[in-house]
Amino acid sequence: MNSEIYYEITRFLTREARLLDDRKFEEWLALFADDIVYRMPVRVTRESKDRTGKDNAMTYFEESKISLTTRVKRLRTSSAWAEDPPLHTRHFVSNIDVEDCEHPDEYKVVSYFLTKRSRGVDHEAEQIFGERHDVLRRVNGEWKIHSRTIYPDQSVLTVMNLSMFL
Amino acid sequence: MAGRHNVRNGIDKELLAEIKQKLEQGLFPQWMVTDPDIYDLEVDKIFGRTWQYLGHESELKEAGDYVTRWLMDDPVLLVKNKKGEINVFLNSCSHRGTHLCTADVGNRKTFTCPFHGWSFNTDGELIGVVAGDKVFGERLNKQDWNLHKIPRVDTYRGMIFGNLDPNAMPLEDYLGDLKWYIDLFLARSDGGMEVIGAPQRWVVNTNWKMSTENFGGDPYHVATTHKSTVELGISPKDPFYASYGHQVKLNHGHCVNVSTTGPGFSVPSYQGLPEEMWPMFERNLSKEQLEVYKQTVVIVGTCFPNLSFHCPVHGNEGHLHNYLTLRIWRPIGPDKIEIWAWFLIDKAAPEEYKMQSYKGYVASFGPSGTLEADDTEIWTRVAKASKGKMARNREMKYNNVLNYMMGMDKIEPDESWPGPGIAYPTCFVDYALRGMHEYWLELLTKEYEDEQ
Ligand code: FES
Ligand SMILES: [Fe+2]
Repeated sequence: MNSEIYYEITRFLTREARLLDDRKFEEWLALFADDIVYRMPVRVTRESKDRTGKDNAMTYFEESKISLTTRVKRLRTSSAWAEDPPLHTRHFVSNIDVEDCEHPDEYKVVSYFLTKRSRGVDHEAEQIFGERHDVLRRVNGEWKIHSRTIYPDQSVLTVMNLSMFL
Repeated sequence: MAGRHNVRNGIDKELLAEIKQKLEQGLFPQWMVTDPDIYDLEVDKIFGRTWQYLGHESELKEAGDYVTRWLMDDPVLLVKNKKGEINVFLNSCSHRGTHLCTADVGNRKTFTCPFHGWSFNTDGELIGVVAGDKVFGERLNKQDWNLHKIPRVDTYRGMIFGNLDPNAMPLEDYLGDLKWYIDLFLARSDGGMEVIGAPQRWVVNTNWKMSTENFGGDPYHVATTHKSTVELGISPKDPFYASYGHQVKLNHGHCVNVSTTGPGFSVPSYQGLPEEMWPMFERNLSKEQLEVYKQTVVIVGTCFPNLSFHCPVHGNEGHLHNYLTLRIWRPIGPDKIEIWAWFLIDKAAPEEYKMQSYKGYVASFGPSGTLEADDTEIWTRVAKASKGKMARNREMKYNNVLNYMMGMDKIEPDESWPGPGIAYPTCFVDYALRGMHEYWLELLTKEYEDEQ
């Protein structure tokens, strides 16, 4: 992996965050491969001998391209109250780490996320944070996300819903 | 006020009597939604005395398996002992009270306290005291310092409940007629239900009564709150689709809504569960239960005060699947709850079906659920709008009462209903919620005399 690839991937993730915060959800969807597996396991607090608590059979998201598309369409209805009035969100992405895969055009990308949301006139912002494990692939010069697993750091989420994407 | 008996925090017998009057008219004074004094009473008189859901037997498989839970603000430890029994303790060390076990889940033979090193076995017995003889000598009788058991623990069809009141009525009696309805999903198949994975947990700024009522008896909200799913073609267009079926008012404030299909929307028998499972239902349910269950699309309700259940048929990617979600609305304060949501499916269901159900659940419920996300938004708005001077006026001089009058004096009970309780032939009524409020007030008022 050379620095040019690292730069491209960094730009790709920055742009992705921007699309979400600009509520360009259809363009965001287009960043995913058709066979995307998009998951967000429940975080469990375990004893240190049991390691991280990242290995769970229950999730907050268990999505395919079809179900993600449904979620995006829902946000475009006239009655998705959780996002109407729209939330103001800020998707921060950092600590991007890129590793080669067996496939020459595929990369494993780990990034940290912090998403803040401001709802209506609430004084306090809600937030959620953790890390994402992505597999990115470049096909004909275009990057696509092939899989994404989102690990929140909070065992109890302090956002009242996950009407947004991570 | 002179001549009035003060119960606590300015809430006295006379005020509670006024509230009773309002409730009888189908009105709920808005000041009680997030009132801190009412909350303070609820903590003692409702949550300190009723049966509280703690977990499901299928979460503890092997000896030494444990999960930690909360019974309101009391930390609770559920652990399976060597004999396979589940013990339920206050998760607080008997020496100086530290929160003993802080992981969500694990397996242990002994629990050693991080403070001074006392250790306990899976029966909660104190088995080790660091430097015991030397520092405590004869005075320490170990048996006196075992972990404290939750005073009452009992199970029903795999559901584990605890009660802080040693004199509480037995769980069996408390659940009463509700059992007939929850058996439709808890007892339908051989081996019952099992929890898959860990519960989802999240925090919502609302009062516990909002979520409890929402699952207990508010199919009326479905067409509007969840209109986005109608627009997507997932839910039927008919604004009455959530009304078809029966709302049942049960004893002890419990509520159930058993819905059937309306015109233009059909779901196969037995909630569309695989046909190979049907013989089990026929074996495990009574004739009357089968009659009802065969037509059922959704069962949703609340076991008073804060355990709700929802056993729907919901879709993901165009497929309809059945599942069960159990949840507790754990009050954190007058305007905050922590939701715990478990996903369950029949142990005896085909593996492929379990997987599809799970996907259907995550798509529609839980914090990301296309249905539930909007519920939490609305419950928050109720709490937010109920905190001001007008809404909080105790004399109700701004007519600050909420409307629970739907179906009053208009809809009569269906005498031909085969199940127990008082069943109304539509889910667009407020009978069950009024029943819940009656019991709620009864508990708040009860033993008033004892406290004089
Ligand atoms: S508090 Fe547990 S050993 Fe002292
Ligand atoms: Fe709802």
